[in-house]
Amino acid sequence: MTAGSGPDTPPALETGASYLACRGVDSGYRDRPVLHGVSFSIDRPAIYVVLGPNGAGKTTLFRTVAGILRPTAGEVFVGGAPIDRQSSRDQMHYLSHMDGMPDGLTVREGLEFYASIERATPADVDRVLDQLEIRPLADSYISKLSAGQRKRVSIARIFLVERSIYLLDEPTANLDPKVAREIRALILKLSQDRVVLYSSHNLFEAREIGQYVLALKEGRLTLFDRMENLRGTHFIIGVRTLEPAAALAQWERRGDYYLKEISGPDQVPGLIQELEREGVRLREVREMENPLEELFT
Amino acid sequence: MSTPSALPTLLSTTVRRSLVVGRVSLAISCFMVVIYSAGFGFGGGVLISIGAYILPIFSVAGGIGGALVYSNDRLKGVLEYVVAYGIRPGRLLVNAVVASAVQVTIILGLGIGAGVATYRLSGHPFVPALDLVLLGYTVPMSYLSAALMTTVGVYWTSLASPRSGMNSPLGVLPMIGLVPTGAVLILALAAPPAHAAQLVAAAELAIFIVLMVLWTRSERFMPTERLLSPG
Repeated sequence: MTAGSGPDTPPALETGASYLACRGVDSGYRDRPVLHGVSFSIDRPAIYVVLGPNGAGKTTLFRTVAGILRPTAGEVFVGGAPIDRQSSRDQMHYLSHMDGMPDGLTVREGLEFYASIERATPADVDRVLDQLEIRPLADSYISKLSAGQRKRVSIARIFLVERSIYLLDEPTANLDPKVAREIRALILKLSQDRVVLYSSHNLFEAREIGQYVLALKEGRLTLFDRMENLRGTHFIIGVRTLEPAAALAQWERRGDYYLKEISGPDQVPGLIQELEREGVRLREVREMENPLEELFT
Repeated sequence: MSTPSALPTLLSTTVRRSLVVGRVSLAISCFMVVIYSAGFGFGGGVLISIGAYILPIFSVAGGIGGALVYSNDRLKGVLEYVVAYGIRPGRLLVNAVVASAVQVTIILGLGIGAGVATYRLSGHPFVPALDLVLLGYTVPMSYLSAALMTTVGVYWTSLASPRSGMNSPLGVLPMIGLVPTGAVLILALAAPPAHAAQLVAAAELAIFIVLMVLWTRSERFMPTERLLSPG
Protein backbone atom coordinates (compact mmCIF):
# COMPACT_ATOMS: atom_id res chain seq x y z
CA MET A 1 0.00 0.00 0.00
CA THR A 2 1.33 3.46 -0.80
CA ALA A 3 0.32 6.63 0.94
CA GLY A 4 -2.58 8.45 -0.64
CA SER A 5 -3.62 6.70 -3.79
CA GLY A 6 -5.64 9.77 -4.80
CA PRO A 7 -4.61 13.09 -6.33
CA ASP A 8 -2.65 14.08 -3.21
CA THR A 9 -0.15 11.28 -3.65
CA PRO A 10 3.30 12.69 -2.80
CA PRO A 11 6.04 12.37 -5.37
CA ALA A 12 8.43 9.45 -4.98
CA LEU A 13 12.08 10.07 -4.13
CA GLU A 14 14.15 11.00 -7.13
CA THR A 15 16.44 8.09 -6.46
CA GLY A 16 13.51 5.72 -6.73
CA ALA A 17 14.29 4.24 -3.30
CA SER A 18 11.70 4.86 -0.61
CA TYR A 19 12.75 5.89 2.87
CA LEU A 20 11.04 2.87 4.33
CA ALA A 21 9.20 -0.01 2.71
CA CYS A 22 7.53 -3.16 3.95
CA ARG A 23 6.70 -5.79 1.35
CA GLY A 24 4.33 -8.55 2.37
CA VAL A 25 5.66 -8.64 5.92
CA ASP A 26 4.49 -11.37 8.28
CA SER A 27 5.98 -10.99 11.72
CA GLY A 28 5.40 -11.74 15.37
CA TYR A 29 6.60 -14.02 18.09
CA ARG A 30 7.47 -17.69 18.14
CA ASP A 31 4.09 -18.80 19.40
CA ARG A 32 2.08 -15.82 18.22
CA PRO A 33 2.09 -14.44 14.67
CA VAL A 34 0.92 -10.83 14.76
CA LEU A 35 1.45 -9.06 11.43
CA HIS A 36 0.01 -10.53 8.26
CA GLY A 37 1.08 -9.36 4.81
CA VAL A 38 1.81 -5.78 5.76
CA SER A 39 2.95 -3.74 2.75
CA PHE A 40 3.55 -0.03 2.50
CA SER A 41 6.07 2.38 1.15
CA ILE A 42 7.05 5.72 2.65
CA ASP A 43 8.48 8.00 0.02
CA ARG A 44 8.60 11.42 1.63
CA PRO A 45 9.48 13.02 4.98
CA ALA A 46 6.42 13.51 7.16
CA ILE A 47 4.81 12.24 10.34
CA TYR A 48 3.02 8.96 9.79
CA VAL A 49 0.70 8.14 12.68
CA VAL A 50 0.12 4.45 13.33
CA LEU A 51 -3.30 3.82 14.85
CA GLY A 52 -5.13 0.73 15.91
CA PRO A 53 -6.74 -0.91 18.91
CA ASN A 54 -4.68 -2.71 21.53
CA GLY A 55 -3.25 -5.90 20.09
CA ALA A 56 -3.53 -4.68 16.50
CA GLY A 57 0.22 -5.06 16.01
CA LYS A 58 1.54 -1.51 16.34
CA THR A 59 4.45 -2.37 18.63
CA THR A 60 5.23 -5.48 16.57
CA LEU A 61 5.30 -3.32 13.44
CA PHE A 62 7.75 -0.90 15.06
CA ARG A 63 9.94 -3.75 16.27
CA THR A 64 9.94 -5.36 12.85
CA VAL A 65 10.74 -2.13 11.05
CA ALA A 66 13.49 -1.45 13.60
CA GLY A 67 15.06 -4.81 12.78
CA ILE A 68 14.50 -6.24 16.25
CA LEU A 69 12.03 -8.87 15.07
CA ARG A 70 12.86 -10.70 11.88
CA PRO A 71 9.90 -11.08 9.50
CA THR A 72 8.79 -14.66 8.97
CA ALA A 73 7.79 -13.63 5.45
CA GLY A 74 8.34 -10.55 3.32
CA GLU A 75 11.03 -7.92 3.66
CA VAL A 76 11.68 -4.52 5.19
CA PHE A 77 13.81 -2.02 3.27
CA VAL A 78 15.40 1.18 4.47
CA GLY A 79 16.58 3.49 1.71
CA GLY A 80 16.31 0.52 -0.64
CA ALA A 81 18.56 -1.73 1.47
CA PRO A 82 17.40 -4.70 3.59
CA ILE A 83 16.89 -3.93 7.27
CA ASP A 84 19.30 -6.62 8.45
CA ARG A 85 22.26 -4.53 7.30
CA GLN A 86 23.88 -2.43 10.00
CA SER A 87 23.90 0.50 7.57
CA SER A 88 20.09 0.28 7.48
CA ARG A 89 19.81 0.22 11.26
CA ASP A 90 22.08 3.24 11.38
CA GLN A 91 19.45 5.26 9.52
CA MET A 92 16.91 4.88 12.29
CA HIS A 93 16.10 5.94 15.81
CA TYR A 94 13.76 3.69 17.75
CA LEU A 95 11.84 4.79 20.83
CA SER A 96 9.90 1.99 22.46
CA HIS A 97 6.91 2.40 24.76
CA MET A 98 9.29 1.50 27.63
CA ASP A 99 11.70 4.26 28.61
CA GLY A 100 14.70 1.94 28.39
CA MET A 101 16.92 3.97 30.69
CA PRO A 102 19.58 1.87 32.45
CA ASP A 103 19.66 1.62 36.23
CA GLY A 104 22.76 2.46 38.22
CA LEU A 105 23.50 5.58 36.20
CA THR A 106 22.72 9.26 36.45
CA VAL A 107 20.77 10.99 33.70
CA ARG A 108 23.97 12.30 32.15
CA GLU A 109 25.60 8.86 32.35
CA GLY A 110 22.47 7.24 30.90
CA LEU A 111 22.61 9.57 27.94
CA GLU A 112 26.33 8.94 27.62
CA PHE A 113 25.54 5.21 27.60
CA TYR A 114 23.38 5.71 24.52
CA ALA A 115 25.78 8.27 23.12
CA SER A 116 28.46 5.57 23.11
CA ILE A 117 26.18 3.30 21.06
CA GLU A 118 25.19 6.16 18.78
CA ARG A 119 28.77 7.39 18.34
CA ALA A 120 27.66 10.75 19.71
CA THR A 121 29.95 13.08 21.64
CA PRO A 122 29.79 14.50 25.19
CA ALA A 123 28.92 17.82 23.53
CA ASP A 124 25.84 16.14 22.03
CA VAL A 125 24.80 15.00 25.51
CA ASP A 126 25.17 18.56 26.79
CA ARG A 127 23.13 19.85 23.88
CA VAL A 128 20.17 17.53 24.49
CA LEU A 129 20.25 18.24 28.24
CA ASP A 130 19.48 21.84 27.32
CA GLN A 131 17.23 21.02 24.35
CA LEU A 132 14.93 18.85 26.47
CA GLU A 133 15.33 21.11 29.52
CA ILE A 134 16.59 18.27 31.70
CA ARG A 135 19.89 19.78 32.79
CA PRO A 136 18.63 20.13 36.40
CA LEU A 137 18.21 16.33 36.39
CA ALA A 138 21.63 15.63 34.89
CA ASP A 139 23.21 14.37 38.11
CA SER A 140 20.12 12.59 39.44
CA TYR A 141 20.02 8.83 39.36
CA ILE A 142 17.58 7.56 36.75
CA SER A 143 16.00 5.22 39.29
CA LYS A 144 14.98 8.25 41.36
CA LEU A 145 13.08 9.99 38.54
CA SER A 146 9.31 10.12 38.12
CA ALA A 147 7.76 8.26 35.19
CA GLY A 148 7.33 11.51 33.27
CA GLN A 149 10.92 12.58 33.89
CA ARG A 150 12.20 9.19 32.78
CA LYS A 151 10.17 9.42 29.61
CA ARG A 152 11.55 12.86 28.90
CA VAL A 153 15.11 11.64 29.42
CA SER A 154 14.34 8.65 27.23
CA ILE A 155 13.11 10.92 24.45
CA ALA A 156 16.30 12.95 24.74
CA ARG A 157 18.17 9.95 23.32
CA ILE A 158 16.69 10.40 19.88
CA PHE A 159 18.10 13.91 19.67
CA LEU A 160 21.69 12.82 20.31
CA VAL A 161 22.40 12.29 16.63
CA GLU A 162 20.34 12.90 13.52
CA ARG A 163 18.79 10.02 11.61
CA SER A 164 16.62 9.77 8.51
CA ILE A 165 13.86 7.75 10.15
CA TYR A 166 12.36 7.99 13.62
CA LEU A 167 10.23 5.15 14.99
CA LEU A 168 8.39 6.53 18.02
CA ASP A 169 6.10 4.15 19.87
CA GLU A 170 3.82 6.25 22.10
CA PRO A 171 6.42 8.95 22.75
CA THR A 172 4.14 11.19 24.81
CA ALA A 173 2.58 8.53 27.03
CA ASN A 174 2.90 9.42 30.77
CA LEU A 175 3.85 13.00 30.01
CA ASP A 176 1.95 15.98 31.36
CA PRO A 177 0.18 18.06 28.68
CA LYS A 178 2.77 20.85 28.72
CA VAL A 179 5.73 18.52 28.21
CA ALA A 180 3.78 16.45 25.69
CA ARG A 181 3.13 19.62 23.70
CA GLU A 182 6.81 20.54 23.79
CA ILE A 183 7.80 17.06 22.66
CA ARG A 184 5.29 17.20 19.81
CA ALA A 185 6.76 20.54 18.76
CA LEU A 186 10.23 19.01 18.66
CA ILE A 187 8.97 16.05 16.68
CA LEU A 188 7.15 18.33 14.26
CA LYS A 189 10.39 20.20 13.68
CA LEU A 190 12.15 16.87 13.11
CA SER A 191 9.64 15.77 10.53
CA GLN A 192 10.38 18.64 8.18
CA ASP A 193 13.07 16.62 6.48
CA ARG A 194 12.74 13.19 8.10
CA VAL A 195 10.33 10.32 8.30
CA VAL A 196 8.62 9.92 11.66
CA LEU A 197 6.54 6.82 12.32
CA TYR A 198 4.50 7.67 15.39
CA SER A 199 2.02 5.62 17.38
CA SER A 200 -0.37 7.10 19.87
CA HIS A 201 -3.63 6.35 21.62
CA ASN A 202 -4.38 10.06 21.85
CA LEU A 203 -6.60 10.73 18.86
CA PHE A 204 -6.43 14.50 19.20
CA GLU A 205 -2.67 14.25 19.23
CA ALA A 206 -2.72 11.94 16.22
CA ARG A 207 -4.92 14.35 14.35
CA GLU A 208 -2.81 17.33 15.37
CA ILE A 209 0.60 15.94 14.53
CA GLY A 210 0.06 13.41 11.75
CA GLN A 211 0.14 14.14 8.06
CA TYR A 212 -0.50 10.51 7.18
CA VAL A 213 -2.25 7.72 8.99
CA LEU A 214 -1.58 3.99 8.94
CA ALA A 215 -4.33 1.95 10.52
CA LEU A 216 -3.71 -1.58 11.75
CA LYS A 217 -6.40 -4.06 12.64
CA GLU A 218 -5.71 -7.63 13.70
CA GLY A 219 -2.23 -7.42 12.27
CA ARG A 220 -3.28 -6.17 8.85
CA LEU A 221 -2.79 -2.73 7.40
CA THR A 222 -6.29 -1.51 6.69
CA LEU A 223 -5.57 2.10 5.77
CA PHE A 224 -2.66 4.22 4.62
CA ASP A 225 -3.71 7.66 3.58
CA ARG A 226 -3.36 11.37 4.13
CA MET A 227 -4.99 12.45 7.36
CA GLU A 228 -7.29 14.92 5.61
CA ASN A 229 -8.59 12.22 3.30
CA LEU A 230 -10.22 10.38 6.17
CA ARG A 231 -13.97 10.14 6.05
CA GLY A 232 -15.97 12.09 8.62
CA THR A 233 -13.42 14.74 9.34
CA HIS A 234 -15.50 16.52 11.97
CA PHE A 235 -15.02 16.43 15.70
CA ILE A 236 -17.77 16.72 18.27
CA ILE A 237 -16.93 18.79 21.35
CA GLY A 238 -18.96 18.55 24.57
CA VAL A 239 -19.33 21.63 26.78
CA ARG A 240 -20.53 21.46 30.39
CA THR A 241 -21.41 24.67 32.21
CA LEU A 242 -21.72 25.72 35.83
CA GLU A 243 -25.18 27.17 35.18
CA PRO A 244 -27.68 27.15 32.27
CA ALA A 245 -26.43 29.37 29.45
CA ALA A 246 -28.70 31.15 27.02
CA ALA A 247 -25.88 31.29 24.49
CA LEU A 248 -26.01 27.51 24.20
CA ALA A 249 -29.76 27.22 23.87
CA GLN A 250 -29.55 26.23 20.23
CA TRP A 251 -26.85 23.60 20.78
CA GLU A 252 -27.71 19.93 20.74
CA ARG A 253 -27.78 18.31 24.20
CA ARG A 254 -26.43 14.95 25.32
CA GLY A 255 -26.88 14.48 29.06
CA ASP A 256 -25.13 17.37 30.81
CA TYR A 257 -23.20 18.29 27.69
CA TYR A 258 -23.93 20.82 24.97
CA LEU A 259 -22.55 19.49 21.68
CA LYS A 260 -20.72 21.41 18.99
CA GLU A 261 -19.28 20.13 15.74
CA ILE A 262 -15.87 21.54 14.81
CA SER A 263 -13.47 20.74 12.02
CA GLY A 264 -10.38 20.23 14.16
CA PRO A 265 -8.84 20.53 17.62
CA ASP A 266 -7.21 23.83 16.69
CA GLN A 267 -10.66 25.45 16.88
CA VAL A 268 -11.14 24.63 20.57
CA PRO A 269 -9.23 27.59 22.11
CA GLY A 270 -11.15 30.08 19.93
CA LEU A 271 -14.44 28.42 20.82
CA ILE A 272 -13.70 28.68 24.54
CA GLN A 273 -12.78 32.36 24.21
CA GLU A 274 -15.99 33.04 22.31
CA LEU A 275 -18.13 31.29 24.93
CA GLU A 276 -16.42 33.18 27.75
CA ARG A 277 -17.03 36.48 25.94
CA GLU A 278 -20.70 35.58 25.82
CA GLY A 279 -20.67 35.06 29.58
CA VAL A 280 -20.86 31.27 29.60
CA ARG A 281 -19.30 29.88 32.80
CA LEU A 282 -17.51 26.76 31.62
CA ARG A 283 -17.05 23.73 33.81
CA GLU A 284 -15.64 21.31 31.27
CA VAL A 285 -14.84 21.04 27.58
CA ARG A 286 -14.17 17.56 26.25
CA GLU A 287 -13.92 15.56 23.10
CA MET A 288 -17.10 13.56 22.47
CA GLU A 289 -16.38 12.10 19.04
CA ASN A 290 -13.25 11.95 16.93
CA PRO A 291 -13.22 10.78 13.31
CA LEU A 292 -10.18 8.62 14.03
CA GLU A 293 -12.21 6.58 16.50
CA GLU A 294 -13.62 4.53 13.67
CA LEU A 295 -10.11 3.17 13.08
CA PHE A 296 -10.24 1.58 16.52
CA THR A 297 -13.47 -0.32 15.90
CA MET B 1 22.42 9.25 5.38
CA SER B 2 25.01 8.23 7.94
CA THR B 3 27.70 5.70 7.25
CA PRO B 4 27.92 2.45 9.20
CA SER B 5 30.68 1.99 11.74
CA ALA B 6 31.69 -0.56 14.35
CA LEU B 7 29.32 -0.99 17.26
CA PRO B 8 30.66 -0.42 20.77
CA THR B 9 31.03 -3.45 23.04
CA LEU B 10 29.48 -1.66 26.06
CA LEU B 11 31.88 -3.72 28.18
CA SER B 12 33.36 -0.96 30.31
CA THR B 13 29.92 0.57 30.90
CA THR B 14 28.53 -2.82 31.92
CA VAL B 15 31.39 -3.40 34.34
CA ARG B 16 30.93 0.04 35.88
CA ARG B 17 27.17 -0.41 36.15
CA SER B 18 27.55 -3.85 37.70
CA LEU B 19 29.68 -2.30 40.43
CA VAL B 20 26.92 0.25 41.11
CA VAL B 21 23.92 -2.06 40.79
CA GLY B 22 25.59 -4.92 42.68
CA ARG B 23 27.27 -2.68 45.23
CA VAL B 24 25.38 -4.03 48.25
CA SER B 25 26.24 -7.68 47.70
CA LEU B 26 29.77 -6.72 46.67
CA ALA B 27 30.32 -4.56 49.74
CA ILE B 28 28.97 -7.22 52.09
CA SER B 29 31.11 -9.90 50.44
CA CYS B 30 34.21 -7.71 50.58
CA PHE B 31 33.63 -6.90 54.24
CA MET B 32 32.98 -10.52 55.17
CA VAL B 33 35.88 -11.90 53.17
CA VAL B 34 38.36 -9.50 54.75
CA ILE B 35 37.15 -10.32 58.28
CA TYR B 36 37.13 -14.09 57.67
CA SER B 37 40.44 -14.17 55.80
CA ALA B 38 42.18 -12.03 58.38
CA GLY B 39 40.78 -14.22 61.14
CA PHE B 40 41.89 -17.41 59.46
CA GLY B 41 45.25 -15.83 58.66
CA PHE B 42 45.91 -15.10 62.31
CA GLY B 43 44.90 -18.64 63.17
CA GLY B 44 47.46 -20.01 60.70
CA GLY B 45 47.97 -23.66 59.80
CA VAL B 46 44.80 -25.52 58.98
CA LEU B 47 42.64 -22.45 59.51
CA ILE B 48 44.18 -20.50 56.62
CA SER B 49 43.42 -23.45 54.34
CA ILE B 50 39.80 -23.47 55.52
CA GLY B 51 39.66 -19.79 54.67
CA ALA B 52 40.94 -20.55 51.16
CA TYR B 53 38.28 -23.24 50.76
CA ILE B 54 35.37 -20.99 51.69
CA LEU B 55 36.56 -17.96 49.75
CA PRO B 56 34.68 -18.96 46.53
CA ILE B 57 31.41 -18.72 48.50
CA PHE B 58 32.01 -15.00 48.97
CA SER B 59 33.09 -14.67 45.35
CA VAL B 60 29.78 -16.14 44.19
CA ALA B 61 27.73 -14.01 46.57
CA GLY B 62 29.49 -10.81 45.58
CA GLY B 63 29.83 -11.52 41.87
CA ILE B 64 26.16 -11.27 41.05
CA GLY B 65 26.38 -7.73 39.61
CA GLY B 66 26.72 -8.82 35.99
CA ALA B 67 23.50 -10.83 36.13
CA LEU B 68 21.79 -8.02 38.05
CA VAL B 69 22.57 -5.51 35.31
CA TYR B 70 21.27 -7.86 32.65
CA SER B 71 18.09 -8.60 34.56
CA ASN B 72 17.46 -4.89 35.26
CA ASP B 73 18.07 -4.02 31.63
CA ARG B 74 15.53 -6.56 30.51
CA LEU B 75 12.93 -5.29 32.97
CA LYS B 76 13.49 -1.65 32.02
CA GLY B 77 13.44 -2.24 28.27
CA VAL B 78 17.13 -1.37 27.79
CA LEU B 79 17.84 -4.65 25.99
CA GLU B 80 15.21 -3.79 23.38
CA TYR B 81 17.12 -0.63 22.49
CA VAL B 82 20.49 -2.29 22.54
CA VAL B 83 19.25 -5.03 20.20
CA ALA B 84 17.65 -2.38 17.97
CA TYR B 85 21.07 -0.79 17.55
CA GLY B 86 22.39 -4.10 16.28
CA ILE B 87 24.22 -5.40 19.34
CA ARG B 88 23.93 -9.19 19.53
CA PRO B 89 22.63 -10.96 22.64
CA GLY B 90 25.84 -13.00 22.89
CA ARG B 91 27.75 -9.78 23.43
CA LEU B 92 25.51 -8.98 26.39
CA LEU B 93 26.30 -12.38 27.92
CA VAL B 94 30.03 -11.79 27.55
CA ASN B 95 29.66 -8.39 29.19
CA ALA B 96 27.75 -9.84 32.14
CA VAL B 97 30.31 -12.63 32.66
CA VAL B 98 33.25 -10.23 32.47
CA ALA B 99 31.53 -7.82 34.87
CA SER B 100 31.05 -10.68 37.30
CA ALA B 101 34.71 -11.69 36.89
CA VAL B 102 35.80 -8.16 37.78
CA GLN B 103 33.82 -8.35 41.01
CA VAL B 104 35.29 -11.76 41.77
CA THR B 105 38.77 -10.30 41.22
CA ILE B 106 38.07 -7.57 43.78
CA ILE B 107 36.81 -10.09 46.34
CA LEU B 108 39.67 -12.52 45.71
CA GLY B 109 42.23 -9.74 45.87
CA LEU B 110 40.91 -8.54 49.20
CA GLY B 111 40.41 -12.03 50.60
CA ILE B 112 43.76 -13.50 49.58
CA GLY B 113 45.56 -10.27 50.39
CA ALA B 114 44.07 -10.02 53.87
CA GLY B 115 44.52 -13.72 54.57
CA VAL B 116 48.10 -14.03 53.40
CA ALA B 117 49.15 -10.71 54.93
CA THR B 118 47.80 -11.56 58.39
CA TYR B 119 49.16 -15.11 58.08
CA ARG B 120 52.68 -13.88 57.37
CA LEU B 121 52.50 -10.98 59.82
CA SER B 122 51.53 -13.45 62.51
CA GLY B 123 54.82 -15.20 61.90
CA HIS B 124 53.40 -18.37 60.41
CA PRO B 125 55.75 -20.28 58.10
CA PHE B 126 55.20 -20.43 54.36
CA VAL B 127 53.27 -23.59 53.40
CA PRO B 128 53.48 -24.76 49.76
CA ALA B 129 50.16 -26.58 50.16
CA LEU B 130 48.47 -23.21 50.63
CA ASP B 131 49.63 -22.13 47.17
CA LEU B 132 48.18 -25.32 45.76
CA VAL B 133 44.81 -24.70 47.41
CA LEU B 134 44.70 -21.09 46.28
CA LEU B 135 45.81 -21.71 42.70
CA GLY B 136 44.18 -25.10 42.29
CA TYR B 137 40.86 -24.49 43.98
CA THR B 138 40.15 -21.01 45.37
CA VAL B 139 40.95 -18.90 42.32
CA PRO B 140 39.63 -21.16 39.51
CA MET B 141 36.51 -22.17 41.42
CA SER B 142 35.72 -18.57 42.25
CA TYR B 143 35.81 -17.55 38.58
CA LEU B 144 34.14 -20.73 37.29
CA SER B 145 31.32 -20.66 39.83
CA ALA B 146 30.63 -16.97 39.28
CA ALA B 147 30.73 -17.45 35.50
CA LEU B 148 28.34 -20.40 35.72
CA MET B 149 26.02 -18.46 38.01
CA THR B 150 26.01 -15.45 35.67
CA THR B 151 25.51 -17.55 32.56
CA VAL B 152 22.62 -19.48 34.07
CA GLY B 153 21.21 -16.24 35.43
CA VAL B 154 21.34 -14.51 32.05
CA TYR B 155 19.76 -17.48 30.26
CA TRP B 156 17.12 -18.00 32.91
CA THR B 157 16.27 -14.30 32.94
CA SER B 158 16.00 -14.36 29.16
CA LEU B 159 13.68 -17.36 29.04
CA ALA B 160 11.52 -16.59 32.08
CA SER B 161 8.75 -14.01 32.28
CA PRO B 162 10.11 -10.69 33.53
CA ARG B 163 10.05 -10.58 37.32
CA SER B 164 11.94 -8.49 39.79
CA GLY B 165 13.54 -8.96 43.19
CA MET B 166 13.67 -12.24 45.06
CA ASN B 167 10.83 -13.55 42.91
CA SER B 168 13.13 -13.40 39.87
CA PRO B 169 15.76 -15.99 38.92
CA LEU B 170 18.25 -13.73 40.67
CA GLY B 171 16.75 -14.74 43.99
CA VAL B 172 18.14 -18.26 43.75
CA LEU B 173 21.15 -17.51 41.59
CA PRO B 174 23.79 -17.62 44.35
CA MET B 175 22.61 -21.14 45.16
CA ILE B 176 23.37 -22.16 41.59
CA GLY B 177 26.84 -20.70 41.94
CA LEU B 178 27.40 -22.52 45.19
CA VAL B 179 26.50 -25.98 43.82
CA PRO B 180 29.74 -26.54 41.85
CA THR B 181 31.79 -24.90 44.60
CA GLY B 182 30.36 -27.23 47.21
CA ALA B 183 30.51 -30.29 44.98
CA VAL B 184 34.17 -29.80 44.13
CA LEU B 185 35.01 -29.05 47.75
CA ILE B 186 33.36 -32.29 48.88
CA LEU B 187 35.21 -34.11 46.11
CA ALA B 188 38.50 -32.61 47.25
CA LEU B 189 37.93 -33.53 50.88
CA ALA B 190 36.58 -37.02 50.17
CA ALA B 191 39.21 -38.03 47.63
CA PRO B 192 42.43 -39.77 48.66
CA PRO B 193 44.98 -37.00 49.35
CA ALA B 194 47.29 -38.30 46.63
CA HIS B 195 44.63 -37.82 43.94
CA ALA B 196 42.68 -34.86 45.32
CA ALA B 197 44.48 -32.27 43.21
CA GLN B 198 43.94 -34.21 39.97
CA LEU B 199 40.26 -34.82 40.76
CA VAL B 200 39.69 -31.16 41.53
CA ALA B 201 41.43 -30.16 38.31
CA ALA B 202 39.30 -32.65 36.36
CA ALA B 203 36.12 -31.30 37.96
CA GLU B 204 37.13 -27.74 37.14
CA LEU B 205 37.85 -28.73 33.56
CA ALA B 206 34.39 -30.33 33.38
CA ILE B 207 32.76 -27.12 34.64
CA PHE B 208 34.78 -25.12 32.12
CA ILE B 209 33.61 -27.41 29.30
CA VAL B 210 29.99 -27.02 30.46
CA LEU B 211 30.48 -23.26 30.38
CA MET B 212 31.96 -23.36 26.89
CA VAL B 213 29.03 -25.43 25.65
CA LEU B 214 26.56 -23.04 27.28
CA TRP B 215 28.31 -20.02 25.77
CA THR B 216 28.11 -21.46 22.28
CA ARG B 217 24.32 -21.75 22.71
CA SER B 218 23.68 -18.10 23.52
CA GLU B 219 21.50 -17.57 20.43
CA ARG B 220 19.31 -20.46 21.56
CA PHE B 221 19.01 -19.41 25.18
CA MET B 222 18.72 -15.70 24.44
CA PRO B 223 16.20 -15.47 21.59
CA THR B 224 15.76 -11.83 20.65
CA GLU B 225 12.02 -11.83 21.14
CA ARG B 226 12.47 -12.91 24.76
CA LEU B 227 14.65 -9.88 25.48
CA LEU B 228 11.91 -7.40 24.59
CA SER B 229 9.85 -5.45 27.07
CA PRO B 230 6.25 -6.60 27.60
CA GLY B 231 4.11 -5.45 24.67
